Amino acid sequence: MSAITALKQENIFVKLLNVLTMMASRPSGLIGLFLVGFHIVLAVLSPVLVPYDFTAMDSQAILSGPSARHWLGTDNLGRDILTRTMLGGQQALVVTSVATVIAIAWGGMLGVMLGLIGGWLENIVMRLVDAFLAIPWILFLLLIVSVIGLGLGVLIPTLAFFYGIPVVRMSRAATQDVVALDYITAARARGESRTTIVKKELLPNVLDVLLVEAAMRWSWMLLAFSSLSFLGFGVAPPTADWGLMISGARSFMSFAPWAVLAPVVALSSLIIGINLSADALAKALGIDRAQKTPV
Amino acid sequence: MIKLKTFMVATVLSLLPISLAQAAGGTFLTAHDLGFGGSENADPISPNRFWQVTEKTMNRLVRPSASGEPTSDLAVSWSANDAATEWTFLLRDGVKFHDGSDFDAADVVDLLNRIKDPELDSPVASVLAVMEKVEALDPLTVKISLSAAHADFPLLMMDYRIRMTPSGSGDTIAKTGIGTGPFILETLDPEGTTVLKANPDYWEGAPLVDEIKIISIPDAQARVQALLSGQIDMIRHVTAQEKALFDNNPKFKMQQVKTGDWLAAIVFRTDTEPFTDVRVRKALRIAADRQTMIDLVLGPGGGVVTCDHPVWTGDQYRARIECPQQIDEAKRLLSEAGFPDGIEIDIVTSDLRSFWVDLVQVYQQQVAAAGIKINLVKAPGDGYWSDVWMKKPAVTTSWSQRPADQVFNEVYRGGASWNESYFTNAAFDQKLDQARQELDREKRTVLYQGLQKMLFEQGGTFIPFHVNQVVVTSAKVTGLPAMFDDGVQYHTVSVGE
Repeated sequence: MSAITALKQENIFVKLLNVLTMMASRPSGLIGLFLVGFHIVLAVLSPVLVPYDFTAMDSQAILSGPSARHWLGTDNLGRDILTRTMLGGQQALVVTSVATVIAIAWGGMLGVMLGLIGGWLENIVMRLVDAFLAIPWILFLLLIVSVIGLGLGVLIPTLAFFYGIPVVRMSRAATQDVVALDYITAARARGESRTTIVKKELLPNVLDVLLVEAAMRWSWMLLAFSSLSFLGFGVAPPTADWGLMISGARSFMSFAPWAVLAPVVALSSLIIGINLSADALAKALGIDRAQKTPV
Repeated sequence: MIKLKTFMVATVLSLLPISLAQAAGGTFLTAHDLGFGGSENADPISPNRFWQVTEKTMNRLVRPSASGEPTSDLAVSWSANDAATEWTFLLRDGVKFHDGSDFDAADVVDLLNRIKDPELDSPVASVLAVMEKVEALDPLTVKISLSAAHADFPLLMMDYRIRMTPSGSGDTIAKTGIGTGPFILETLDPEGTTVLKANPDYWEGAPLVDEIKIISIPDAQARVQALLSGQIDMIRHVTAQEKALFDNNPKFKMQQVKTGDWLAAIVFRTDTEPFTDVRVRKALRIAADRQTMIDLVLGPGGGVVTCDHPVWTGDQYRARIECPQQIDEAKRLLSEAGFPDGIEIDIVTSDLRSFWVDLVQVYQQQVAAAGIKINLVKAPGDGYWSDVWMKKPAVTTSWSQRPADQVFNEVYRGGASWNESYFTNAAFDQKLDQARQELDREKRTVLYQGLQKMLFEQGGTFIPFHVNQVVVTSAKVTGLPAMFDDGVQYHTVSVGE
C-alpha cells in the first residue's frame, strides 16, 4: 500500500468518524444510529440467536399468545413469532441496500452528466423523468411481474430503477448549482475532459447530497419492499419477512394482535431509525433536506 | 260481529306472508374469486362457466339432496330399463325460461347434444361420455341411450354444470344466461359486479330478495375483510383461524357442513418429469402427515383425512385406506427412482384460495425430512385457472364435491379435458367402465373402491383432506339452506335490515 493511498483511506475513515460523531451528538441522531445499528447487528447475528427454526410448526400452539415458550406468541401455523421477526429484516435489508446502491449509482451519475452536458439531451431525458414520475411505480411493477414473474431478480432491478428516477432530478439540480461555479469553468478552460470534470470536480461536490438522498431512499424502499411482500409480490412464503408476516396475520388482528404487532414494530423502528439518521447526516453535512442542496 | 272480526283477522293473517315476502326484498351480496381472469361467461357447460351465476339462473334435471342423493329438479321422475342402458326422464310441466318460452324436452336434447360438441370443448363431455343418443319422446319425456350400462346415471346428471338452457341458444347463452332459475341475469361483469334480478315467476316460488350482486374479489383475505366490513353478506369457505373472527360476533351467523370438497390439494402432472415415475409420485404422497396438516391448515376438526381418493366420507363408494406418514419408505422410493439425494420441486400456488399457501408451506416442511425440497412459487390469483392450472408441472388445485363415478370420469379418465394430472392408465379406465356397468351394487362398490386404491398407489394428485365447510353470513341473512355449495337453492334466502 502506497503512502498516498493509506493517507486517502485514513482521510475517509477520519471523515466518516467525524460525520458519525456529529450525527451522534444530537439525541435524534443517536437514537437513529442506534436503531439502524441494532437492526443490522440483529440481521447478521439472528441466524445463531433465534430460539427456533423459522419454519418449525406446532399444531398445538396455533395463534397462541406470548408465553415463556414463545415470547412473542405464534402465528396461524404455530410458528414462533420472535424467531420470524428477528429474521424478518434480513431479506429486506439486503434487497433494499443493494437496490439503493444501484438506484443512487445510476440516478446520481445520469443526473450529474445531464447537469454538465445540458442542452437538448437534458431536455429530452428530463421530460422522460417527469413522465415516469407521474406514473405510480407499483403499476409498472405489476406489469413487469405479470410478464416476467415474481422473485428477487425482478424486485431488485425494478426497485432500483424506479427509485433511481427521482435521484436523477435531484442530482442534476445539485450539479447545476456546481457547474456554474468558477472552478468548473477553469477546469473546462484547462481542457479537462468531461469524465475528469465529473470524477474530480462534480462528484465530490454532490456526494454529500447523494448520501443524504441514499439514506432517505433506503427508508422508502424498505417500506416499498414490505408493501410488496404484503401485497404478495415480494418474497415467497415461508420466508421470514415482515411484510409477509403482517399480510398473513392481518385477518387475525382482532384476536391475535401479537402476530401483527411484532413485525410492525420491527419495520417501523428500522424506518424511523433510518429517517432520524438521514436527518442527522444532512445536518452533519450541512445540507438542507427540504431543498436537498448544500446550505 | 264476531264473525266479522274473525273474517278481518283471518284476512290480515292470510295476507301477512305475502306482505312479509314482499317486504323482505333487498340485495344479497356475494363475491367470486375471478379465477378465470375475467373470461367467465354464463354458458353453464363452457370451460369458463361462471357457476356463481348459473347456479342461480338455471336449473338441472336432477339436483343433490342434503345427503347427496339425486332428487327432483326439472325432472319429476326417472327410470331405466333392466340393463340400465336407457334412461327416461319425465319433465316438469309449466316451467318457463326467463325469455318467456316454455321449457320442454327439446331444450334438454339441445343442451345434452351441445355438451358433446367437440368445438365447445366442454369439461362436462367427459362426464357424459357414456351418453350415446338423446331423444324427445314427447314434449315432457326425454330418453337417453347409453353406449354401455350405467347403474348410477342420475348421479352424473346431478353435475353442477348440466343446467337447462333454451334450445338454439348455444351462440348467445354465454352472454344472456337465460335459464329457468330463480334469478335473471341483468348485468354480466365478471371483473366488476354482476347483477341478478329476482324472477317473480320462478316455479318454486318468487325469491325473497330483489337482487343478488356477485362482486369480483380475487384475494381470499380481502373477501374476509369485505364480509367483516359489510361489503358482502356471505363467504362459503372460511378457514378455522378466520372462523375465530366471527365466533361470538352477533353480526354474523355460521353454518358448518360436512362436504366432499377438496379445496386444497396438490397436483403433479404425470406426463412431466420427474412425476412420470410412479415411485416419485407415491413418495410425494406418503411423505406427508395428513392429520397434522388438517390441524395446521384447517384447524382441529376442520376436515377429514383422505388418502388421495377423491370420494368423500358421505359417498356410498368411499374406500377405507390408511395413509400414515412414511418418511423412510418415501426415501427408499425416491432412491429407487434415481433420486438417492432427494428431489427439488417447484409448486405454484396463489392467494386465490384461503388454504393454498398454508397447505404448501406445511407440505414443504413435512416432506423435507424425506429429502424433498419444495420451492413455493406464488402466481397471481387473477387468471390462475387459465394460466397456471394444467400448465405448470406441480400446482395447487381445488375441487368441489362430486359423486365417485363423476370425479373418476372427469378428473382421472385418460383424455378427459379436466384430467389435471394427465393421468393415463388403460387399466383404470377399463375398471371404471366395468364399475359403472355393474348392476350388482356390492360388486360395483368393490370396483369403485379398487379404483380409489389404484389412485393412492399410482395417481398424480395429492389430496390430504376433505373440508368441513364453514359458511359465514351476516346476521341479517336468513333462509340459507345448510348444504354444500352444489345443493344450495338461493330463492329462499332473505336479507333483513
